[in-house]
Parts: sequence; C-alpha cells; structure tokens
Amino acid sequence: MSVPKPEDVTSILATDCGSTTTKAILIEKKGDEYRLIVRGEAPTTVEAPFEDVTKGVLNAVREVEELAGRKLLSGESILSKAEDGEGADIYISTSSAGGGLQMMVFGVVKAMTGESAQRAALGAGAIVMDVIASNDGRLPHEKIRRIRQLRPDMILLSGGIDGGTTAHVAELAELLSAADPKARLGAGYMLPVIYAGNVDARDIVSERLGEKTALVLTENIRPVLERENLQPARHRIHDLFMEHVMAHAPGYKKLMNWTPVPVMPTPAAVGKIIETIAREEGIQAIGVDIGGATTDVFSVFQTVFNRTVSANLGMSYSISNVLAEAGLENIMRWIPFRVEEKDLRNRIKNKMIRPTTIPQSLEELMIEQGIAREALRLAFEQHKSLAVGLKGVQQERTISDTFEQSSSGETLVDLRQLGMLVGSGGVLSHAPRRAQAAFMLIDGFLPECVTHLAVDSIFMMPQLGVLSEVHPKAATEVFKKDCLIHLGPCVAPIGAGKEGVECLQVRLEREEGAASEGKAAKAKGTTESLSLKFGQMAVLPLGVGERGRLVLNPSKGFDVGAGSGRSLETKVDGGVVGVVLDCRGRRPFQLPSNEGERVKKLSEWNAALNVYPERK
Amino acid sequence: MNRVECLLIIATFLLFASLAGTPAMARAESDASPEEILPDTTSAQAGAPADPASQAAVWFDPRRVNLLVIIGLFFFLVLLFIRKAVRGRSLYVRKITGLSAIEEAIGRATEMGKAVLYVPGIDDVNNIQTIYSMVILGTVAKLVARYETPLIVPVCKAFVVPLAEETVKQGYLDAGHPDAYNPDNIRYLSDEQFAFTAGVDGIMLREKPAANLFLGSFFAESLILAETGFSTGAIQIAGTANIHQLPFFVVACDYTLIGEEFFAATAYLSDEPKLVGTLKGSDWMKVFVMGALIVGAILETFGVTAFTRWLTVQ
Repeated sequence: MSVPKPEDVTSILATDCGSTTTKAILIEKKGDEYRLIVRGEAPTTVEAPFEDVTKGVLNAVREVEELAGRKLLSGESILSKAEDGEGADIYISTSSAGGGLQMMVFGVVKAMTGESAQRAALGAGAIVMDVIASNDGRLPHEKIRRIRQLRPDMILLSGGIDGGTTAHVAELAELLSAADPKARLGAGYMLPVIYAGNVDARDIVSERLGEKTALVLTENIRPVLERENLQPARHRIHDLFMEHVMAHAPGYKKLMNWTPVPVMPTPAAVGKIIETIAREEGIQAIGVDIGGATTDVFSVFQTVFNRTVSANLGMSYSISNVLAEAGLENIMRWIPFRVEEKDLRNRIKNKMIRPTTIPQSLEELMIEQGIAREALRLAFEQHKSLAVGLKGVQQERTISDTFEQSSSGETLVDLRQLGMLVGSGGVLSHAPRRAQAAFMLIDGFLPECVTHLAVDSIFMMPQLGVLSEVHPKAATEVFKKDCLIHLGPCVAPIGAGKEGVECLQVRLEREEGAASEGKAAKAKGTTESLSLKFGQMAVLPLGVGERGRLVLNPSKGFDVGAGSGRSLETKVDGGVVGVVLDCRGRRPFQLPSNEGERVKKLSEWNAALNVYPERK
Repeated sequence: MNRVECLLIIATFLLFASLAGTPAMARAESDASPEEILPDTTSAQAGAPADPASQAAVWFDPRRVNLLVIIGLFFFLVLLFIRKAVRGRSLYVRKITGLSAIEEAIGRATEMGKAVLYVPGIDDVNNIQTIYSMVILGTVAKLVARYETPLIVPVCKAFVVPLAEETVKQGYLDAGHPDAYNPDNIRYLSDEQFAFTAGVDGIMLREKPAANLFLGSFFAESLILAETGFSTGAIQIAGTANIHQLPFFVVACDYTLIGEEFFAATAYLSDEPKLVGTLKGSDWMKVFVMGALIVGAILETFGVTAFTRWLTVQ
C-alpha cells in the first residue's frame, strides 16, 4: 500500500488504540484548510475475550461513519481510497494498547551511555523499565534476576564511544546472555536486542548474543562523548516494534495491512507533534499527558526534543503512588478547605480501586485537582533531571570562569524561555472549567515570565503526530484550529517579596480587527491597566482569536524576562481564560505555612481566576 | 561521639590552654633575676613564705585569656557541628563543581576505555596539601575500582610512593576489587621538578588518559601539565592551595578547586559526619574572624581601642 501525495489527500482517517479506548477521528479538506470533522470512540479489544485490536478500531470508525454520514467501512475493513464521498484517502494509526512498548536499556556509565540509551528509547515512544549499567551498584546476579523478572519487549544495548571500552560492553552482553531473557509477547520468539554501542565491540556482542536473541546492530548512539546520535537507534526501535512487538500482538497484523504508514507508539506520536509545532513556530515547548497510570512529559528546548514517562504517576491506577511520592502535606497544601488526613487518604485509595469514577462533588473535584498538581510537579521534576545536556564533555574555560564554573549535564529546561505549555489527559482536558486546567498547569509547572497555555481538547495529539509524518500541513492546521484549546498567556514574574509589596504593573492593549469569541469580545480595541501586589493573582480578559500588546513593568527585584525590574513589551494571543497574572513569586514559590492563611490565599486566588463556583 | 573521643578533645583543649599560659611563665621567668627564680632554700627550709617572684610564674597568664576564649570558641563550634552531623542533621555544604565532576571524569575515562591520571603535586609528605591529596586519592581509587578503570599515579617524591601505594590499595579493597589493584601504576618518576613534569607529560602523550586530576601542591609545572593534558582531550580537574598557580589551572582545566575548596574536598567527597562537622565548625570560625575584623575596624575608626587591644596577643 503506497502513501498518497499530500496534495491528493482530501480526507484522513486516524485512530489511536489506547489501553482502554480506541479513538478515531476524521479530517477533511474544507476549502484550503484541513479541519476535524467528527470523532468517535469504542472500547479497545486487544484483551480477551476479543483478542483482536481491529474490532475496537472498526467500532470506533463505525461511530465516525455514522456521525459524519460518510461510508468508511467495507465489511470488516477500512475503505482505503476516497471516491464519490466514500472512504478516506489515507488511514493512519497509533497504539499504546497492551502496555505500549516496554524496554530495558543498557549502558556502560549510567549518566553517559546509559542516559543516552534511555533518551533514545523514550524518544521512540517506549516505557523504560530499567537502566542497567556497569556502575549502577548492583551485583551481577541482581542484574540478571532483574532482566528475567521484567521481560521487556525489546532491549537497547549501548556502551563505549567508537574506539572506546570493549571490556565493559562485553560484560554487559554476558549479563544479558546469562539472563537469557524471553520476549513478553509471542512465546517461542527471540527477544529483539538492538546493539548501538562501540563499533569495535560488535563482534564480541554478536558472539555472545547472536544465537540467543534477535540481535540488530546499528550506529553508536554516542560515537563520541561530545555528541549523541539517537536517530538510527530510534528507527531500529520503530522497525522492531513493527516486526516483533506489533506482529505478535493480537490483531495488529491485520491493522498494519490497512495503513500505508507504520503504526507508531502513541507517546512517540505525541512527541512528534510537539516537536513539529516547536520547530514550525520557532518556540520552546512543553507538552504533558497525564493519564491514569502514567504521566508523559515532552519538551523541546534549544531544538533538542526530550520525552520522559513517569510510569508511577497517574490519576487512577497510580494515584496512591502520587500520595507516596509527594507526601500528604504537599497534596493538602493545594486544597482550599480543611480536610482530615484520614478522609483524604480514603478518597485517594477509593480512586485507586475504582479508577473509572469521576468526582461527584466540588470537594472531590478540588481534591482530585490538588493531586493532579502534585503528579504534574513530580513528573516535571523527573523530566528536568533527564532532559539534560551531555555529561562527560570536555569544557573550555577562560579566566572569567574562575568563580562560576558551570558543570556539564545541566538541565535544558529553561522556563524563562518556554513559549507554550500544552496539557492533555482527562483531568486537564475534561476539567469542568478551563480556568481549572490553566491553574493546574500553572501550579504544576510554575511557568516563569510569559508562557502561553493550552490544552488538548479531545486528545487527538497522537493521531496528529503520526499524521505529521505523512502530511505536516494537515497535522499543523488541525492541531492549531481543532486540537488545541488556547487558555491564554500566563505572566509570572520571577522573584520573591513581602506580601502586599508592589510587584507588577500591567497594561494590555487589545488589537482591533481580530476575530473574537466569548465575553472578551466587547473589550476589543480597548486598553486595560492593572497593578498587582506580591501574592496576588488576576485575569485580564483576552478572548480566543484576539491579540494584544502586553506592557509589563515589574518592580525592583522582579523579572518578567527582560531582567530584574526591567519593562517588557510583548504581543500575546488570547484564550478562553484570558491573560493570567500570577504574582505569587518564583524561585522560590511558597505557599503560606499557616493552614488558615493558606486556605484564605487559595480561596482568594480561586476567586480571582473564577476557578470554582462559590461554595455554599 | 564516644567518651574517649570527648576526653581526647578535652585533653587537647587543656593542652592548648596550658600552652597559652606557658610562655607567660617562661617570660616571667626570663624577666626575673636568677635569684628570684631559684627558690630560697634557706627560707623554705625555715618554713618562711616563698618568694613573691616565684609565685608570679604560675600556669595561667590572664593576659592571654583572649587566646583561651578563641580556642574555646573554635572547639565549641567544631564539637557542636560534629554532634549535629553525627545525630543525622543535614549540614549544608555548597556544591563544589570541581569535586562533583570527579565521578564524571572517571565515567568519561571508562566510556573511552582509557586510564585516569592522578598527580598528587610535587611536594613531600610533610606538606599538608600532599596529605590532603592522599585522602582525595583514596576516594578516587575507590571510584575507579568501582568503574573498573585503570588509575595511574605518578609521584615526585620518594617518600610519597609508599603512602600513595597504600592509599590506592586500600581504595580498591574498600570497593571490593583488590584484584584490580596494579602496583606498577604508582610510578615514581623523579625528585626533580621538571624531570617529573617531563615524565608526566610523556605519560599523557603516550597513554592518553581520559581524565587528569592535578590535586596537591604545584608550582611552575602547573601550566605545562595542564596544557599538555588539554591537548590530549582529557577532562582535567585541578586543585591547589598555592594560589599563584590557580590562574594557570583555571584557563587550562575543566574544573579548578580554588584555595580552601581543596581542603574541603575530603569532607565533601566522603560525607563523613565528623569531617563535615569539622568543616562547618571551621567555616563558622572564619565567619567569626571576619566579623571581628569588621567590628574592630569600625571601633578603631571611632577611636574605641579596647576591642583591638583585647584581641592583641601579648
């Protein structure tokens, strides 16, 4: 099946086979632009009793077919070519069903080739179950036991620069050989192992693993310590994902025959669209997908794409782990009313054992969103620790570096430079009020200076990610117009001061002539000024489609991006929430330690942003 | 801290205190005439009171109370912080990039399949910098043993060789890899400064170690060593208390420990409560000294000399 030329494509059908639901979307060309037409979903059927992923796909597509009034199915398959208003020009799919792609990675030094291997696997959409390294402090038998216990879908073995160590690589290969791991899917098949290490050790690795595993050799991910070369390894991971993992998953062989484009792991597809948008807009971007079991964070800083999966942070199956990692105190600090510790614990455990329940009262919603803030914060902390520069790189110094010797391996995440923060996942996308999603993103990530906030309306980023591979224009257009719900910019000065001290003066000049929606429409073409004290939050209305010029005058000691106490003028796009002004301080950000005071401040901020309805 | 250690510290303190008084006695003795110093045996035998001059030569000199107070304060601070550290209180020690980079440098050598070169300076064992360097060498040896990477230690002074050998051997033992210890890698080159430098340069050019650590007392050879190391593409970490050599290290090395950072290295790397407590105690003592200097300067400016006079050692 061949991929049609982009100019010939007028209709696109895309599905995402998730762990619980399969989502289908139909995109059509309307005039000169591509727009989302309808969306349908059905339960995923990869598990027993169906054990055929295509059943769920067909059900989801059937819903799309009914809603769009367009014939897309021909019996038990998808019509592959659009003719006479029937079928779609191209069908594409992503998948995370059955736990997605689960990998183990190996490296000689954990912080060097180990970390590079981890980045290669994560960027390819895998969940990294463990990193085995020569210096990880575990004894050989512990490593062997771990490999046998985890049973990954695939292993990425790396280590040594080209011409570097072979002894350590041989040792890792021997460990793997001794463990003799079996593939998770498809009993009787050999476990795929990708070797992306020192070229000099290829023979040794082939000798040790050639007969026991489905060994694939590719270019070194770290040919020199000063440079990473992750793409060849990522391509091999995709290939093997298709050849081994997908081919052995129930129904995927049939699914792969329906699409001319390889089925992509869901996280890889989400990362792809974030990367595409950051590149096209020339901005630094962060995307987050908070799910029931895992939280994925994607970032593009200095054109470097990074993805991390926090496998134990989520809002249902992993909610207890959020409590364990964040601590009760950190969760309680976000709840704007007094709550008993026991009560909070019970609510959290209930959510874990009944993962599909949703909050039934305002209090429950506030608690859930408090937990989401902590899950986001922890996932972002993990992301920052992995999205780092290369370690072990030679530095060049001058005498001016005497007292400020920066180390290598510093995080690439620079919130001052962050242009867009996109949230996705039930708790963000389905929040009853968009201001709640904005507030969760702000509290979880603590963006600095001026950052645009958005949420994914119906979680179609995965489909758009795979679409960006074959039709970048359609993917970008649908992403901007139908996928994203713009919440508006967040202005947060860096600095700390005393409560009530003058912090920021803002003037918003709304541009005339732009299309606008909502209650901000009447304010079009006007100017509004506001003065905020430290510890205050406020919102200036600027609707979706509106543009405005923000003039920010921070007080001495506060920085909005131009330097301490310096004014900044910037153009901003509006959103459903408006321009959020957050003068609660950064570096450090602190909530009042006294409970009464904290509850009072939280209520004050919620009221300022109109986050929750008034409690009776 | 156990009782024995407490007693030892108190005994040392008393020794210092008595030393503070001893010169006074000696001076009092020297000021006195021989007749005054020698006891009058006749009057003593007769049961008469002793000579007043000999009574003045006592163990305690009140003019040196200032020293006693300052030494007492120093001991108090050190003991206080050791106690805090031993009880598990986390004592903040700021990040010293150069020391944190030691493991990174060893990691680089491991990935590249090359050795780590450790030069403990060119001074003898009687230099405190060499002793500190040996303590750091122990930590480095432990790390390289864990990473299974060779360690080369060229030595300039013959007396340092057995010390370096034992330190490295112990490091390998502690890491559980005694078999990996290679005594041939502790290399005595020459007692002559530039012959030694030429020898180390030769090692760098021939064996191309991926990480060079220059930690100890260095003089004119510092730039020659660091430049050669840079040309081989190695990560270099240097540290010396000879501040006149620091600019050379700063420009040619990846990381440089500045002055006192070098002495803080042992506490920083080992995280041993007693060492960290001592480091914190001496840091606070420095803060006290700086504060005293500022207060003294201000008081002197306003013509109040009592404080300065009290601090003057007579």
